[in-house]
Amino acid sequence: MPQFQARAKIPRLALGGLVLLLGHAATAAEPQGLLETLHRHSIVTSTVPSNGDQNPYALVLAPVSAGKIRKGDVLIDNFNDKNNLQGLGTTIVTYAPATKQTALFAAIPRHLPECPGGIGLTTAMAMLKTGWVIVGSLPSQDGTTSTKGSGCLVILDSQGSVAGVIAGPNINGPWGNMAVIDKGSTATLFVSNTGFGVGSSDGTPLVVNQATVLRLELSIEDGKPPVVTKQTVIASGFGEQADKDVFIIGPTGLALGRGGVLYVSDALGNRVAAIPDAITREDSAGTGKDITKDGLLRRPLAMVMAPNGHLVVTNGLNGQVVEIDPETSKQIYARWVDLNKAQSPPGSGDLFGIAMTESGDGFYYVEDEVNMLVMAH
Amino acid sequence: MTTGKCPFASRRSVIAAVSGLLVGSAVRPPQAESAPAPVVEPFYGRNQGGILTQQQRHSYFATFDLIAEKREDVVRIMRDWTAAAARLTQGQTGRPISENLAVPGADSGDTLGMRPSRLTITFGFGAGLFIKDGKDRYGLAAHRPEALVDLPAFNGDQLVEGHTGGDISIHACADDPQVAFHAVRQLGRISYDVAQLRWTQTGFLADFPSGETPRNLMGFKDGTRNPTEAPVPSRKSVEDVVWVGAEGPAWMRSGSYAVVRRIRIALEHWDRTEVDFQQQVVGRHKYSGAPLGGKGEFDTPSFDQVDSDGNPVIPETAHIRLGAAELNDGAEILRRSYSYNDGSNFTAERWPPWRQGIEYDAGLFFVAYQRDPRSGFIRIFQTMSKLDAMNQYTTHVGSGLFACPSGITESGYCGQSLFEA
Repeated sequence: MPQFQARAKIPRLALGGLVLLLGHAATAAEPQGLLETLHRHSIVTSTVPSNGDQNPYALVLAPVSAGKIRKGDVLIDNFNDKNNLQGLGTTIVTYAPATKQTALFAAIPRHLPECPGGIGLTTAMAMLKTGWVIVGSLPSQDGTTSTKGSGCLVILDSQGSVAGVIAGPNINGPWGNMAVIDKGSTATLFVSNTGFGVGSSDGTPLVVNQATVLRLELSIEDGKPPVVTKQTVIASGFGEQADKDVFIIGPTGLALGRGGVLYVSDALGNRVAAIPDAITREDSAGTGKDITKDGLLRRPLAMVMAPNGHLVVTNGLNGQVVEIDPETSKQIYARWVDLNKAQSPPGSGDLFGIAMTESGDGFYYVEDEVNMLVMAH
Repeated sequence: MTTGKCPFASRRSVIAAVSGLLVGSAVRPPQAESAPAPVVEPFYGRNQGGILTQQQRHSYFATFDLIAEKREDVVRIMRDWTAAAARLTQGQTGRPISENLAVPGADSGDTLGMRPSRLTITFGFGAGLFIKDGKDRYGLAAHRPEALVDLPAFNGDQLVEGHTGGDISIHACADDPQVAFHAVRQLGRISYDVAQLRWTQTGFLADFPSGETPRNLMGFKDGTRNPTEAPVPSRKSVEDVVWVGAEGPAWMRSGSYAVVRRIRIALEHWDRTEVDFQQQVVGRHKYSGAPLGGKGEFDTPSFDQVDSDGNPVIPETAHIRLGAAELNDGAEILRRSYSYNDGSNFTAERWPPWRQGIEYDAGLFFVAYQRDPRSGFIRIFQTMSKLDAMNQYTTHVGSGLFACPSGITESGYCGQSLFEA
């Protein structure tokens, strides 16, 4: 949070290593990446709607104006209900930068017959150019994975009403932030699934290597909800684990890069992997190829591609975001965007969703512990 | 069975006997500036006691649900409670003690021989007196003040039924914990057929040196910016803040609205937090009590002050910023809170790192008086409940709003002009 950073004793930028440090010093006038160009972190809005839902997860910028939404609005969903039970949040709120107003966009019924287990909205969310909003559910009945269902993807119209559900054997806990290719009448979604084989969080839950990345190809006829025309598991075998504190840990960040590469943040592997030919491949690439591992990463979660071609990924175990050049596989540096010392290390457990601002020179992120949308700029 | 004479006609007689000792004793009256505080607080007057009364060191708060079916039964109990409260505050037993030992004692007797300890008893009426479950049980619905709203659901509320609501509140405050509890106990025992206990809360205030602002369990001074009789410019006087004026119904004029909140504090989490960060959360220096950027406790906080990076010196989410009248359209309340400590029990903290286990069930029994809660507590807390950095450590688990009627005359009873309106 900005006020904490101003007085923080921790340097905001942490460099990746000695080599990078020297390189940085030699070309101090030239920014090495996005993070060093950011100076402020401003609270944008509380993300809590009137029903009291907590724990903001997904962040999506509206690509178009449609129904209740204006282009550039930020859509934010909530994973927890008002009692702070995980996997029971049902709401999406919007923040309009133009008017600085926050409003409820959708309150999805807790139970939808087609969605196994009900509704608990995750980081998987996208808005299409046709105005449809697609959001993932990884539901629980009691806030733990003991009662989790396999969930679904819910299709909402631009008024926030449920227009359809995508479920089936390939979908179990659609979890991480989606990557999207949107061509209007067709679209391709990439979503990670972290629910296969995950059981109770009691005791010491085992890591289960069954998480997948699913590619969904959609057809969108005028005025009709998207229809899935093809499903392909393009990556599989990622670690996933039930957790009594954070519900589930698994691959969370997805971002498309040049040449049809899909980058995946592998939270338990503490790495970012590349899935080649993600748009066209017909088989699973397994857990992909390491782009970078460990270093400044501390349980990487949601991830976004910045205009400079770098990946920016949030850390789950501290309040840093890490900037990575995927072309060189280098971690450039990390920045403290949440120095909340109510946690140790500061910001641990606070970050999740991330989305570039419309101008591309900053990003929005959530602070889960205080239910706020914040902007780094 | 023998019938003996009670050795104590009243607690007052004992007080008279020991009062000479008090003058020269080492006992320090709490918060007295120079002269010792009076041992007895007045019961009758324009306002109820326990609101602007210099805060006592102990508190016993209780709410009751009315089970009476008729209005006259409610009137009867208000008469009886008023009479008993008047006696208790003067150091007497709740009811005169009979010489007949073959019947239950009219008073539990556990404060016989004790001083009145500045006991005050403050009555409040909850919404349930006027209408409950849609029923106008006592023909009072039309008299429910507009200001006696149902408190909205605030962000983060985790209210427990057993610590929330009530048709009537009784708040006993005294410098001795047994005197405070004794008072509520005596009132409760004479109303078994009319009102049943709903929930209770004890509280305590540390015995800080005179003139100093007490610290709460977080270790920070609490109450520095409370309204005063002689306000600083741009601030209201405490009388303006607290007492209902002509805008309210006749029975509430010179009365006040009490908001109570049982706020559990994750002390284990707080104790693991750097002092510097605690100061950022509160917006004050911990040890001096000065606002960040200031030097003395009573310096006016400079909310516009920024550091070299342009970030506010008193953070945007600091508790004192979000509670400041200057930044809340002038909204002010009189805080008269007590710490509480109810042992320990299992809890799951609501914030990272989400500790679970046996933790202290301790915190703040927040009590605030104002002339209208809509422009007082609700106005302030709507924003605070969403943005206050302190919310990472605090959980509101109990709540209530009560209309505390105007003061009581010697020939009347509490709420008389309401019941006779």
